[in-house]
Amino acid sequence: MPIEQIDRESLLNPLLEDIPRKIEKIHKIRDFFLTDAVLLGEIPSPTFAEENRIRVVADRFRENGLHNPTIDEFGNASAVLPGSEGQSSILIMAHADCVFSPEIRHEIQVGSDFMTGPGIADNALGLATVISLPRLLEELNIQLKDNLILVANTKSLGRANLEGAHGFLETMSLPAKAGICVEGSTLGRLSYSGLGTLRGEITLQIPSDYDWMRFGAAGAISQLTGLVNHIREIPIPKEPKTKLVLGGLKCGSSYNTSPKQGNLKFEITSEEDEVIGSMESQLNEICEQFSAETGTHVSMEIVAKRKKCSIAFTHPLVKTTRSVMQEAGITPQVDPSTGDLNALILGGLPAVTVGLTTVENLREINETIQLAPLCSGITQLITLIEAIDQGICEE
Amino acid sequence: MIKQEESWLDRNTFHHSAFWDLIKLVKEKEKKGLKISLCIPTLNEEKTIGKEVLILRSELMDRYPLVDEFAVIDSGSEDRTLEVASNYGADVYLASEILPEVGNKRGKGENLWKAIHQLKGDIICYVDADISNIHPRFVYGLVAPLIQRDEISYVKAFYDRPLNYSSGLRPSGGGRVTEILIRPLFALFYPELSHIIQPLSGEYAARRDVLEKIPFPIGYGVETSHILDLYALHGLETFAQTDLDRRVHRNQTTNALGKMSFGILQTFFNRLHQQGKLDRMPDLETFYRRFEVEDGNYRQLVQEVVEEERPPMIEIKGYRNRQDAS
Repeated sequence: MPIEQIDRESLLNPLLEDIPRKIEKIHKIRDFFLTDAVLLGEIPSPTFAEENRIRVVADRFRENGLHNPTIDEFGNASAVLPGSEGQSSILIMAHADCVFSPEIRHEIQVGSDFMTGPGIADNALGLATVISLPRLLEELNIQLKDNLILVANTKSLGRANLEGAHGFLETMSLPAKAGICVEGSTLGRLSYSGLGTLRGEITLQIPSDYDWMRFGAAGAISQLTGLVNHIREIPIPKEPKTKLVLGGLKCGSSYNTSPKQGNLKFEITSEEDEVIGSMESQLNEICEQFSAETGTHVSMEIVAKRKKCSIAFTHPLVKTTRSVMQEAGITPQVDPSTGDLNALILGGLPAVTVGLTTVENLREINETIQLAPLCSGITQLITLIEAIDQGICEE
Repeated sequence: MIKQEESWLDRNTFHHSAFWDLIKLVKEKEKKGLKISLCIPTLNEEKTIGKEVLILRSELMDRYPLVDEFAVIDSGSEDRTLEVASNYGADVYLASEILPEVGNKRGKGENLWKAIHQLKGDIICYVDADISNIHPRFVYGLVAPLIQRDEISYVKAFYDRPLNYSSGLRPSGGGRVTEILIRPLFALFYPELSHIIQPLSGEYAARRDVLEKIPFPIGYGVETSHILDLYALHGLETFAQTDLDRRVHRNQTTNALGKMSFGILQTFFNRLHQQGKLDRMPDLETFYRRFEVEDGNYRQLVQEVVEEERPPMIEIKGYRNRQDAS
């Protein structure tokens, strides 16, 4: 049952007042979740091959005495921390995949006030924090009424279409009343909406019977360059906000051989699904026209597509998150998500994504997290969980 | 020629995965009333010491109380080694300040030796500070045989040792000094010790009551001397060895390995001299022994290497005839 504004404040205020105590306490006991961040971060976990990292997560769930530690058919690891009443549940989720291939040396360096290594922020830290929540709550003497459903979800990034999160939500046995996606990066992040997103790959091939004497004949690199010029002519509206990113180009392998094939990766994000649909049609037309005019084979494959989604800026969950952040000394930065949050909101769950600490060189092999702000980031998460538990975040 | 596995190899060679149940191990330790100390000797190791202290302390003292005491003993680092180690909760000591009345010598062996005085455990586990893929198995894999088997006093680590180049990892086998120097020397003079797969590994655990009775070379010879001295005192049965899977460490230059080999040879020949093996040189062994791991089984390969010799050519009649004719 929704509660009145005045009751919300009277319930929230003690939680906000407790934030400094929590930050101090978490700083004293931080080693166990930092350890998990290192141990998990050093296990390669590329999208579609997260098994080794997931197995360790499931082991940790068991070691921590959680109920029903499970690896489901989608590869997600999950477990439940039972609440004192258990009438409802809160879903806490962190993606287990990272952008780095197993060939990259997954080695985390630990300094006095930082950690550096591929994927430590995105998302070994988020994952370690989710695993550590039961012990953090215990150390802080917090007993929740709700069950806490902890999930390490797979297949979140790149070509994956949030398959892990969607799969978990479709088969989840305990209905949740709210959700939080936990990301290592970056402190202050507040996502309560998901952009409409389209990810695709355009492949250009020079056919074996290509007429190299024809006017304008060229190898795949030149052809792809021409194709990119056509794509850049697609008008991109300022309102609704829309972005086209050409994120990857693979073509050729030597100095003196004209390549016969190339591949272009792109992503369109927009506040309106119709804009994405229109741009997808234009891309298709460009590919067809270019193919016909140049004698090349151009094909477009859509690898991920998600609809826009949002809860209101005035939703109690968002308002409470902002209040908690401000009290913890964190400046909220609204940042629409293209990640797992979409799956939660589209699944009908009020949900937000928060980040845990300040990060440098995100998604580079020298990705670095700062340890000093991390305790505030974790405190924000725990306080928000308490607020949801107490019904403060319900409409 | 391939010889079947030796019985010691079967009995006293473990894989760390056999000891995954840390709760059980802690109970066994407590039941026997054992205390375990962990020592990391350091000299300018700020890049790796933080992770070692964080992970080993958090997992093996906080989560599972297997280790009772954790110390970093330093030779006088000029970087932030001590600060980083202390930040993550290690007890930090300068070797020069332990037993000051015996003076200060600079070398890893000095730190290991003074650890016996400084630390209180019945078992002392030594772990090098330059392991970039540190994991709790580097400790529990070594102390577990000592907890479970009273007749074992000294446990050595062995592992795959890929070298850490800027371009990535490359395989290395048992370590270059081990393969080129130590294994042939052991095969010649102490063939039984050839069962120890990586005699120079920097990770080992031992009981206080054996460590306190043997001398410690200060420099590169400390691991070699431990093995030779304990073998002379207690025989092969006092040893065990544990496969720790993989250890990533920094590459050393050939010059550095040459210096290490020189130090090890000094220690080795000192022991040969003390044991009368130089004065009464035995017939040298002709069997060279090395190891192979296949499907998790350890197998010693024994190969006869007989260095036959030809006389000077001038002593050969046919040669002299040809020379005379030309």
